[in-house]
Amino acid sequence: MSSEEEILKRFAAIEQAREFYIIGKKVSRVDALDAVLGRPMYTGDLVTGDFLFVKAVRSPYAHALIKGIDISRALKQRGIEAVITHRDIPGENDAGSLIPDRPLLAVDKVRHYGEAVALVVGSGIETVEEAIRLVDVEYEPLPVVKDPFEAMKPDAPRIQNRDNIVTHFKIRKGNIEEGFSKADIIVENTYKTQFMDGLPLETEVAYAFPEKDGRITCISSMQNPFDVYNKVVKILGVGPEDVRVIQAATGGGFGPKSDETPIDIAAYACLAVKKTGKPAFAVFTREEATTVQSKRHAFTIRHKTGATRDGKLVAWKSELVADTGAYISKGHLVIARATFHCTGPYEVPHVWADGYCVLTNNTIAGSTRGFGAPQAHFAAELQMDALAKKLGIDPVEIRARNILRPGSLTATSQRIDDAGLEICFGKVVETARWHQKRREYEELNRTSSRIKKGIGIALLYHGNTLGPEGEDFATVHVRIEEDGSVVVQTGLTEYGTGALTSLVIIVAEILGIPASWVRMERPDTSAVTSSGPTVASRTTVIGGRAAADAATQLRGRLAEVAAGLLGCSPDELVFKDGVVSVGGDRRRGIGFRELVSEASRRGVELRVRGYYIAPPTRWDPETGQGAPYNQYTFGALVSEVEVDTETGLVVVKRMTAAYDAGRVINPLGLLAVIEGGSIQGLGHALTEEIIHENGVVVNPSLHGYIIPTASEAPEWIEPIAVESPGRIGAFGAKAMGEIPVVLPMASIANAVAHAIGVFIRETPLKPERVLKAIREAERKER
Amino acid sequence: MRRGSAVVKRFSFVLNGKPVEVEVPPAYTLLETLRNVLHLTGTKDGCGDGDCGACTVLLDGRAVHSCLTLMAQVEGRSVTTVEGLLRDSSPDEVQSAYAESGAVQCGYCTPGLIMATKALLMSNPNPSVEEVKEALRGNLCRCTGYAKILEAVLRVRR
Repeated sequence: MSSEEEILKRFAAIEQAREFYIIGKKVSRVDALDAVLGRPMYTGDLVTGDFLFVKAVRSPYAHALIKGIDISRALKQRGIEAVITHRDIPGENDAGSLIPDRPLLAVDKVRHYGEAVALVVGSGIETVEEAIRLVDVEYEPLPVVKDPFEAMKPDAPRIQNRDNIVTHFKIRKGNIEEGFSKADIIVENTYKTQFMDGLPLETEVAYAFPEKDGRITCISSMQNPFDVYNKVVKILGVGPEDVRVIQAATGGGFGPKSDETPIDIAAYACLAVKKTGKPAFAVFTREEATTVQSKRHAFTIRHKTGATRDGKLVAWKSELVADTGAYISKGHLVIARATFHCTGPYEVPHVWADGYCVLTNNTIAGSTRGFGAPQAHFAAELQMDALAKKLGIDPVEIRARNILRPGSLTATSQRIDDAGLEICFGKVVETARWHQKRREYEELNRTSSRIKKGIGIALLYHGNTLGPEGEDFATVHVRIEEDGSVVVQTGLTEYGTGALTSLVIIVAEILGIPASWVRMERPDTSAVTSSGPTVASRTTVIGGRAAADAATQLRGRLAEVAAGLLGCSPDELVFKDGVVSVGGDRRRGIGFRELVSEASRRGVELRVRGYYIAPPTRWDPETGQGAPYNQYTFGALVSEVEVDTETGLVVVKRMTAAYDAGRVINPLGLLAVIEGGSIQGLGHALTEEIIHENGVVVNPSLHGYIIPTASEAPEWIEPIAVESPGRIGAFGAKAMGEIPVVLPMASIANAVAHAIGVFIRETPLKPERVLKAIREAERKER
Repeated sequence: MRRGSAVVKRFSFVLNGKPVEVEVPPAYTLLETLRNVLHLTGTKDGCGDGDCGACTVLLDGRAVHSCLTLMAQVEGRSVTTVEGLLRDSSPDEVQSAYAESGAVQCGYCTPGLIMATKALLMSNPNPSVEEVKEALRGNLCRCTGYAKILEAVLRVRR
């Protein structure tokens, strides 16, 4: 058998294995010890010697014409080396992460509060801050378009030189009139979600310096080094070899670090270097970050849902409107994902949905963990509970009658081929003791006057990885050093999810060595080829396939050498515990390191590039019908709450979460994203809200924008991992990074409705809103 | 951030067990001095407003936000940073507990949380879960959801 055949055979065998060597075993984050010692090098930790500061002059208006920019007073300041406006950009003034609609520096108009108009470069942050006040920008304020419904009116002022409606995304399944004619009951409601900030704890930061050969190196905090690199090259108007981008340790991503602001900050630092020839440092204050970082879209969702008397869904009509702010960012893709998922994970024969992504003068909304799914599931899951209430059946019962099972068709008529949702659903209902708790709390609420308890459920499906959102590929470079240590490098990034540890685990599994023999190198655009963006929970699923490809190639090359040495055929070899042996018999084996040194001596190339690209997905843009995603992750979340009916305060006591991860590659990493996503989602449900007043962000701070602390964490989160392997992911893995943030809003809102007897269809469920709902319900009762 | 002010003042204090003297502008915060003058970058800047706790250090054994602590308040006192927890190059038990419990994700909040934990355990070696939550309220973590952090702290309580 040739080594290539051995590769294919072994890979198939490894993929289908039920027993793994390292996969699914607890492997600590490869870099955890560094972190507790305060040693990881974030961008701000690397800055030394003399350097200049760069900072943006930002618009105080949400919508205004720029009549003139006078930089002369600022330039005269001592210590100021340059003031850069759009006229000084050597290349293209285009910083849009995907759509070229957003200038790096405003030209004749500002379209949102905080938009950058000029850059001030100087020594000392105070000098720069002072000079910023001396840049005279003459604005002529324009009417502010505050709301997407206002923006959709034909006579509304245009934000850009185009229609304010960016996308009208459609789903047309079956015949909606016929569907509603079969309905015994119909429920119609409007749901509203708020602008939110992913809020990585480290703000945007970049440090750039000139190399001796004229190249500019930029170290920065980001998810997508190649997106940043490509844009900076364009903005500077230089050749691809003139810029190098390196990702430093990155203090959280959550989406914002994949969008607009990482491009801005890197471009600020690089432009300053280009202009002055000196190293430059740029960092956002928390206020700047919270103002201009791309947000989670505020959605308004109208649902009209019909069901039969026995609780079968027959028709679902939806209108979704997403406020994407002044520039599109990823809004056109967020609306697609939200619309694809608008009915929740249920089979509905007749669906009609219209999703609109709309420009306003609010700050930009783009990628945030979950990418439209939390908003879609919030509305769909509350709608399901409303139906159950109207039919007088339990929320679990209505779900049981409608969930996607093997053979079910989604809203896009895509056939579901695994039972992940059924399993997750069954597990949370059982583990949370749903029926018993539901009765207990209802009993208690009859006698308890102040504290009411509630339990709520929500289910999800999540189309995996990019699907319609882009080319779903990854490259992973793996080399084996002469001492037998293995080095993995990729353009995919680590920013806290532990996903790169999954790549280490996959490489170690295939080579049969301990994970500690494998190390990661920092993403560097001059050392690796593009691996696509680190978004859409794709690192383990897609990156894992590329890592497996690389490791399998290396294994094939080593197997050939080992077979010669051990006098066997390559397919008889077992790679395990750092030994390569015939059929697992260690007496007929050779140590992995010894084998590597023998292979090196023979000149075998032990450096490979692994690659994977997911099959393209297809759907009809007129009807939304087709298979937009290659596979789906499923999940279920039960939340238990206490509501103080005198203050309106909601406390989440317990969460039971089951997610179908397809295959658990990295159990500690999975647990980490489940716990972390649950609490982030809890914050979305209860407190987090970016407030725009006439387009101005009025709470851009961590005391104005409230994220959960240790005190808000529930007493217990019960995580349940389900493994219903997916079609494309490495070893059957499904996307998990974003998923746990999707359901808390829905599940908590349903639990609150159970506690107080009335649905609150607008988030966040802050005390005044809860209290108002309670008082209104009381008034109605009287 | 480094400030351009020309006026500097001398401050003496004990840093991680050793006496140090620095000359910095009087308006400098302890965080600026640690990061920009002494190049101890383990202490992080997350907001500059005392909201997030990433900059937490010990001042005479008590947890403070170094971003809100002026150098004049540090004069003659003792400061411990995350770098100062190492004993004979081995990690402190709190550091080990964080690593072993998987209480680390992006790592940016980690040094501050470790220092807040250290301060808690020095004053209260056997805190209840509620006391731990209360003591860590001033330290925001966006990745972990706090579950593993609580586990780490409870692991080292007496």
